[in-house]
Amino acid sequence: MILLQSTSRFLLQILQNRLLSSEKSVDIDCHSVEFDDVRYHVQFSVKSPLVMVLSVSLPTPPPGTVFANGLPLGAIEAIKSAYGEVVQILDPPKDGYNLTMRLNLAKLPQDEEQRQTTLVKIASVREVVLGAPLRMILQHLASRTVSPNVGQVVALVHRAKESFFLIPQVEKATVIFPMRFKDSIDMVLATSFLQEFVEARRATALINAPLCTWSPNPPQELKEVPSEALAANAGFVTFVIYPRHADGRKLDKTAWSLSTFHAYVNYHVKCSEGFMHTRMRRRVESLIQALDRAKPELETKNATQGINFKRLSLVDGSGNSNF
Amino acid sequence: MDAASRPAVVIDNGTGYTKMGFAGNVEPCFITPTVVAVNESFLNQSRSSNKANWLAQYNAGVMADLDFFIGEEALTRSRSSSTYNLSYPIQQGQVENWDTMERFWQQCIFNYLRCDPEDHYFLLTESPLTAPESREYTGEIMFETFNVPGLYIAVQPVLALAAGYTTTKCEMTGVVVDVGDGGTRVVPVADGYVIGSSIKSIPISGKDVTQFILQLMKERGENVPPEDSFEVARKVKEMYGYTCSDIVKEFNKYDKEPNKYIKQWTGIKPKTGAPYSCDIGYERFLGPEIFFSPEMYNTNFTIPLPSVIDKCIQSAPIDTRRALYKNIVLSGGSTMFKDFHRRLQRDLKKIVDARIAASVARYGGEIKSQPIEVNVASHPIQRFAVWFGGSVLASTPEFYGACHTKAEYEEHGASICRTNPVFKGMY
Repeated sequence: MILLQSTSRFLLQILQNRLLSSEKSVDIDCHSVEFDDVRYHVQFSVKSPLVMVLSVSLPTPPPGTVFANGLPLGAIEAIKSAYGEVVQILDPPKDGYNLTMRLNLAKLPQDEEQRQTTLVKIASVREVVLGAPLRMILQHLASRTVSPNVGQVVALVHRAKESFFLIPQVEKATVIFPMRFKDSIDMVLATSFLQEFVEARRATALINAPLCTWSPNPPQELKEVPSEALAANAGFVTFVIYPRHADGRKLDKTAWSLSTFHAYVNYHVKCSEGFMHTRMRRRVESLIQALDRAKPELETKNATQGINFKRLSLVDGSGNSNF
Repeated sequence: MDAASRPAVVIDNGTGYTKMGFAGNVEPCFITPTVVAVNESFLNQSRSSNKANWLAQYNAGVMADLDFFIGEEALTRSRSSSTYNLSYPIQQGQVENWDTMERFWQQCIFNYLRCDPEDHYFLLTESPLTAPESREYTGEIMFETFNVPGLYIAVQPVLALAAGYTTTKCEMTGVVVDVGDGGTRVVPVADGYVIGSSIKSIPISGKDVTQFILQLMKERGENVPPEDSFEVARKVKEMYGYTCSDIVKEFNKYDKEPNKYIKQWTGIKPKTGAPYSCDIGYERFLGPEIFFSPEMYNTNFTIPLPSVIDKCIQSAPIDTRRALYKNIVLSGGSTMFKDFHRRLQRDLKKIVDARIAASVARYGGEIKSQPIEVNVASHPIQRFAVWFGGSVLASTPEFYGACHTKAEYEEHGASICRTNPVFKGMY
């Protein structure tokens, strides 16, 4: 797995189990937490086995991001357009959650393939809700219509109390991520990972990928942003998105990759740490092998010493009895 | 937000299956086979100083650390292509291969649970006979690679005991009979501590039940495609298997009313797609019977499970024995046969009563001893009792205090993971 998937395995599994095994209808009440503090709460009741009540809680937004009624801008419209008549948004949401939806699984399309795509779509509710404002801007970019906030810095939440920044322009959109890591080792690894990442972009195979730069200091575009939102210990990554990256089918993928960029870097930092451990373990094993190979001589030496010791103790009699 | 305010991650790595999920839930989110498919083709390339070869190796190496799959995916991958080798990181309850174990955890966390390990406390499990060094290794991986804020390594049978404690009793003394896919263990626990010297193992497990059912079906000449036969036998075991109270009577019942007891199995041959059907007869009760009369399956091991439990309790300290007889807890998928606990309780009671009668007879009826209460508990959650117990314990506030934190790890090193305190919430 190189990229994080946009569908939540957990939700998809619950939905599929529910639709496949229709003979038993049991109460389900479970919760799950994803990276960046997205929480799900799933409820099924015996009375109406095909109605799922799904509550989603989002990361706490930092000051400066635009949230309407606890949801990112445009999220309600995005949900309605993505799920159609299957979903009904409950207002107000359940206590402690940002969004509560009632999904009527009886209204799913009958066709097997369409049904599967709808289920996958429901399982990627995170992408739909959190990615809504980003998708809106990218849509404007793709259709080359002037978005309402050209030239302004837009802050979008991606982790609890942290946001990334987007500067929409007519021909391109600049996306800037301040990268923060808690652990000092992670920070070092992430810094070199990001430098390597920028380097990899220069390869000829990736000539059409978005431009990408890394800098240890906040880039020029962010000079209006308050400095506390810019405290980053692993530098700043800037992507330049052109309309060609956001048209048609690519839009969803671009929006998802951008909104989970931090989680992606974090995942790969952990993977590299794991890989380094594997290498270290192998090295230790080879060293131990080398030691083992040297052992037979040692053993014979010990054996002779043992005999000497025995003789000594015999000669010394009870003097060495404390051995 | 603080990590202690989020639910802890509970991962129970078993020999056959891994159960993982979040504390506070009733069921684990995922149950997957503990298996990793790794692509190690790049490792075996010849080492030469050729620049191009080095580059190929380098490029393969760059991706190789991510080129693996776990669980069901691993099984399908290894079936469809030969580049992947299956590796089972846990053998007989012990981690054998730490490289693949680390990768397995990595995928569990990032691909299955999709959580950030820095955000959650972790509760892992280990078998009662695990060496302290292996706990150190686990701690090292968890703290160094995944940066978990806190870690607790619990002993599986203790968690299985804790699974029963939510209802009415808060008993942390009892015998756990754990029948998993890979092995069967009888573990006495007193006040949350495992009595290591009294642990008994039995070489009969869920896999053997399946094997025995398969053997019976083959001997009768049932029409089952050979490539699918083990799967069919497993399903027969899970769907139709049950424990009987008396084999002879059961045989008579089947002979009198075959229509009522003999079931039909229909399936489709995987190669040709042709449908087939076969009968399921005596193997329904003979399969689970191998726990009670093992001599009919294995000539080397002939001690039935109830006597093993009795021996185990008799070898435990004398002041715990009554409490141990009183609370015998089943755990693991292969204890799910209908009436398994009733049969076990009856057989065990017989052994205990016979011993008491003998001792009363020896003293000529002068000394009367109090009757010993034998109680085998069964609850519907026992299939993943260990995970459920972990989920219950990890949702108590005391859990966070009992965890080893990252700060402690950095101060003292991996050796802190050697011991894991039995904490208050366990009582």
